[in-house]
Amino acid sequence: MMLRRSGFALAIATLSLLALSTMARAHKLRVQGAAVTVAGSSVTVTPSRDWNSLGKKIGKNTETWTLDGEQLNDVTFFAGIAPGNPLVKERSKKHAPLPKFTRTTLLVEVPELLEGTHRTYKNSGAFKLLSTQAATFLGRDGVFFTYEFTDEDQLTRRGEAHAAIIDGKLFMMTFEAPRLGYFARSENDFRALVTSARLR
Amino acid sequence: MRYSAFWLACAAGLALLVTAPVSAQERSAVKQGFKLAAKTNKTILLFRPSVSVGEQSMGGLFEPNAAWTEQAKANIQAALDRFQARLGNAVVVAPEAYGDEARNLEEHMALFAAVSRSVIEYQFFVGNRLPTKKRDNKADMFDWSLGEGVAALPGARNADYGLFIYNKDAYGSTGRKVLQVFAMLGGVAVTSGEHLGYAGLVDLRTGDLLWLNADAEMGGDVREKDGSEKRVRQLLEDFPGSDIGKTDAP
Repeated sequence: MMLRRSGFALAIATLSLLALSTMARAHKLRVQGAAVTVAGSSVTVTPSRDWNSLGKKIGKNTETWTLDGEQLNDVTFFAGIAPGNPLVKERSKKHAPLPKFTRTTLLVEVPELLEGTHRTYKNSGAFKLLSTQAATFLGRDGVFFTYEFTDEDQLTRRGEAHAAIIDGKLFMMTFEAPRLGYFARSENDFRALVTSARLR
Repeated sequence: MRYSAFWLACAAGLALLVTAPVSAQERSAVKQGFKLAAKTNKTILLFRPSVSVGEQSMGGLFEPNAAWTEQAKANIQAALDRFQARLGNAVVVAPEAYGDEARNLEEHMALFAAVSRSVIEYQFFVGNRLPTKKRDNKADMFDWSLGEGVAALPGARNADYGLFIYNKDAYGSTGRKVLQVFAMLGGVAVTSGEHLGYAGLVDLRTGDLLWLNADAEMGGDVREKDGSEKRVRQLLEDFPGSDIGKTDAP
């Protein structure tokens, strides 16, 4: 009886894992000119070209878009990170805790929040903030910053982020790509996405 | 007992069905329209291969081993010296780079590895292709690039194509192997060791990837001379214009 139960449980667990892994691979086409909501939130964007929305998610309130794979061009939407939560899912609360967005986090502290997240989540050895300035995002006062970092793969990537805190939640869009060619190639496509972003 | 066996069989069957596309994964591709015959007047610039060898910790992290890496570098270079004459066209070794030039070359090698990983994940793994690339794939397109920056790499002005070779080998530590056994008993698949090998031919004017042979499960123990020979042969098999892989024993 015991063996039957354990066999059953194992089978169900295996089936669940298989189902999850299959679902995680379903990437979706985001068509040029068609408005779409992102990360299950009330944020919509209207892409100026076709993009791919990856099936895998790095966090509860996130969605990642790419053209050639997230290693080569990565647009991530952080759509309504609530206080007390990290930007992405923690792999280990004990061994690799991530910095949290809190009720007292200020806009000027958002770059530091992203840097801390990268250092732990991506094992970035080097992270350099290049510029920070006040800017409008989703029609609200926000922050725009640029940065550069090198991951474990020894490839230096450039990044830029647009963020705002709305009703106590963090909304942010980031674009990261290798500084060799890839960043410049899709920078304008990302900025067009940012300009099109609306909060319903 | 009979029921548990039934459920386990169902799970195993489904596992095979779901993982089937992985085994059907492609390993090499050529840019549409690109052909390189043997004995043309084209010159291939061979960049010093990127080689890193270490252990995979129990948690899956890569822990570099300097002695293994040095040994593998020497072994792979010796194997390349032997295979170089069989690439079918003139091969020149890229001049030694220093300072900013060396850093630029290193960054391009890292970019080559990142592009290769993307090709493996989103093109070679047919079931995981990106929607925007599916249309291209129907027409057998292979459209990936390192960008025009390759034209400034050392030696690039005097050659037509650049040959990039990247290897990263992580041998499973004892702890990782033990974890693998226990995970297997619990019905969870944990891999022990990782053996990445990518070889790519790049147009030194445009940066376009013309040919790529890339696999995340390469053969050959690069810490040994024979293993390195096997690895290099595997990396260069079906290289355009060469006879490597066509006349060698498996």
